[in-house]
Amino acid sequence: MDIELSNDDLSFEAEVREFLAGNAYKDGEDPNKWRMDWFEKAREKGGWDVPKWPTKFGGPGWTPNQHYIWQKETARSNTPWDMPFGLSMLGPVLMAHGSEEQQQRFLPDIRARKVNWCQGYSEPGAGSDLASLKTKAVLSEDGSHYIVNGTKIWTTMAHIADWIFCLTRTSDAGIKQEGITFLLFPMKQEGIEVKPIITLGGSHSVNTVFFTDIKVPVENRVGEEGKGWTYAKGLLEHERTGIAGISNSIVALEGLKEKANSVKRGNGSLMDVPSFKAKVAALEIDLMAVEYTELRSLATASAGTAPGPESSILKLKGTDIQQRIQKLTMEAGGQFSAAWGGTNAGPDFARAGMGGYMASRVYTIYGGASEVQKDIVTKKVLGIKSSKK
Amino acid sequence: MNFELSEEQQLVSDSIERFVQDNYDLESRVAIVNKKPGFSPDYWKTMSELGWFGLPFSEEDGGFGGDQLDTMVLMEQFGKGLVLEPFLASIVLGGGVLKRTASETKRKAWLESVIDGSKQLALAYAEPESGFEPHNVAVAGTKTDDGYTLTGTKCMVLHGKTADAFVVSFRTSGGVVDQSGITLALIPADREGLTVQGFPTVDGLQSSELTFEKVTVTADDLLGDVDNGFVPLNATINDGILAVAAEALGAMEILYKDTVAYTQAREQFDHPLSDFQVLQHRMVEMFMEYEQCKSLLFRATMEVAAGGDDAQRCVHALKHLIGKAAFFVGENAVQTHGGMGVTEELRVGHYFKRLLVIEAQFGNADYHLDQFSA
Repeated sequence: MDIELSNDDLSFEAEVREFLAGNAYKDGEDPNKWRMDWFEKAREKGGWDVPKWPTKFGGPGWTPNQHYIWQKETARSNTPWDMPFGLSMLGPVLMAHGSEEQQQRFLPDIRARKVNWCQGYSEPGAGSDLASLKTKAVLSEDGSHYIVNGTKIWTTMAHIADWIFCLTRTSDAGIKQEGITFLLFPMKQEGIEVKPIITLGGSHSVNTVFFTDIKVPVENRVGEEGKGWTYAKGLLEHERTGIAGISNSIVALEGLKEKANSVKRGNGSLMDVPSFKAKVAALEIDLMAVEYTELRSLATASAGTAPGPESSILKLKGTDIQQRIQKLTMEAGGQFSAAWGGTNAGPDFARAGMGGYMASRVYTIYGGASEVQKDIVTKKVLGIKSSKK
Repeated sequence: MNFELSEEQQLVSDSIERFVQDNYDLESRVAIVNKKPGFSPDYWKTMSELGWFGLPFSEEDGGFGGDQLDTMVLMEQFGKGLVLEPFLASIVLGGGVLKRTASETKRKAWLESVIDGSKQLALAYAEPESGFEPHNVAVAGTKTDDGYTLTGTKCMVLHGKTADAFVVSFRTSGGVVDQSGITLALIPADREGLTVQGFPTVDGLQSSELTFEKVTVTADDLLGDVDNGFVPLNATINDGILAVAAEALGAMEILYKDTVAYTQAREQFDHPLSDFQVLQHRMVEMFMEYEQCKSLLFRATMEVAAGGDDAQRCVHALKHLIGKAAFFVGENAVQTHGGMGVTEELRVGHYFKRLLVIEAQFGNADYHLDQFSA
């Protein structure tokens, strides 16, 4: 057991800091140009634009410590916005199950951030129970293409996406996990309608997407017909680390303390109020523990073995912590957190307090609701099987 | 011992329940929220015609001589529909201070038109740095020959933009956090130097911020005795707490019942969600929170109405429990509804937002726990 960073790690940390400082956004710069340049420079560093991709596909091949350092440092600095759908979700599926043609066709544009992808998984009748999805893909008689009909819901950024990777049903035979096929097709075509869903607080990022007779050539099918569930599931496991947003939470907790310190209460600040202080401390203790849970998980991953039991709790604990930070931020804003713009009084951060809190409620719903995560831990980790006869 | 509503209270309750059912479905409410002034002047008129505004006023003032229990009955039903009209601002808060402090002339001049709905009042007591303490008053009155001038800011003034006059607290002696030395006045909205900036709150209601720039307050504007404003102000805020607690109870009833209904209708894994024990127990806990809130609401409201010695402690206990339950019931209603719970399309999210605002109003759960244990 050894938690010290080696000299190599320390010099890597310095190199990361130098890179982030040297490429920080400068006032007046064109944000889009900065973004594209940033990724180009990161690419020149040897795959820093795709930290999690394997070296075979241009990734940097970092050790777990290096990944940890990268996460920690980028959470503290202003890096360009990025979407996970192509980079972290479809990318790994194509690397593992796509044909060589598909890899050559799609991966370079994902890496260059040229094409935006969205994820067509959930449906109105298939949320937590994703495998019951019904969007139908029917293979043409000559076997050249599929015709897709159905509805997807909670499709993040569907309104700006160029392409979608989509789970479709090609067979109703056997158990429902079988007969699911993984298809790729462009979003900007006739027969696709995108309807916004407005979430609490009035923002628009998710959508309902309707498909009517969409023609998808068979060469856009990933892997075998009927095996899509296996590919998608593998992807969810692949994503276990990082999803908990722990590095971001560490930064956000410091922000919370600063905010609470700026709120006057009596002769001191809100951070002097015992009940508030105790909640912040309890949160910090949980965060200290989960930071090391993630490190343990990273260490197992780097040893090349299957993820240990500890990694199964990362999403559950990580999202709980993110929600508590938002809740305490809202509480720190006091009565002002109810204001929806238009007021000058009260601390600046309070104005977005309730919005941030409401937006955080979805963390325990999307990407597998916490209840479903716990079912998975029950079965896979605790080894409890249903004894129903 | 009797926890039943009186015949009159039951009639009022039924009548309000019907009004809310007929007029306050989600679609109608959203339409009202999105249109100025953020509530329905038509509904406001109907409410006044139905006589609801007279409930908490004495017969001499033109009311029906009711008390906090009558307001409780009304607010619980309002909570079920997330009613937007300024009953709390004008009747409970503004009217609450007036009935406790105003001279006979002033009552005559104002209360009749407050009760018939033609005039609205608002209460301006909170300040940028007052936290949740009603006695924390920094806006000071500078003495003049015939009264005072006020300069400073009052914030989170509910329904200030449509108010005809404001009940304002300001300091005439003592330190910023002293209970004594607070004076109350009724200041017309068009008084020179007073600016009202309106803004919506998260729950779709209307709030405002008041800026005083050398605003004249005459002796005639004063409500009650100089330096002795805290007691009536605090009593009125206690009424406000009882009112929003009853409203929150109504909102929580909708939330737990909607959740029970949703889990029975929604199927996943070839079962209705209500088959899953983890959800069953969660809903039982939501129901328990609701019932506990109801019990403490009854206790606190009766104690305050009776002028009991334990009234203040009961109010602190109630607002603490309501805040705690608001989070528990609201968060779990949203979580159990899954993705749909975080959209504007289902009503659960709207009830949750109202609960959040209530929790941040008149002191949150932590504040009242501190006060209770102080």
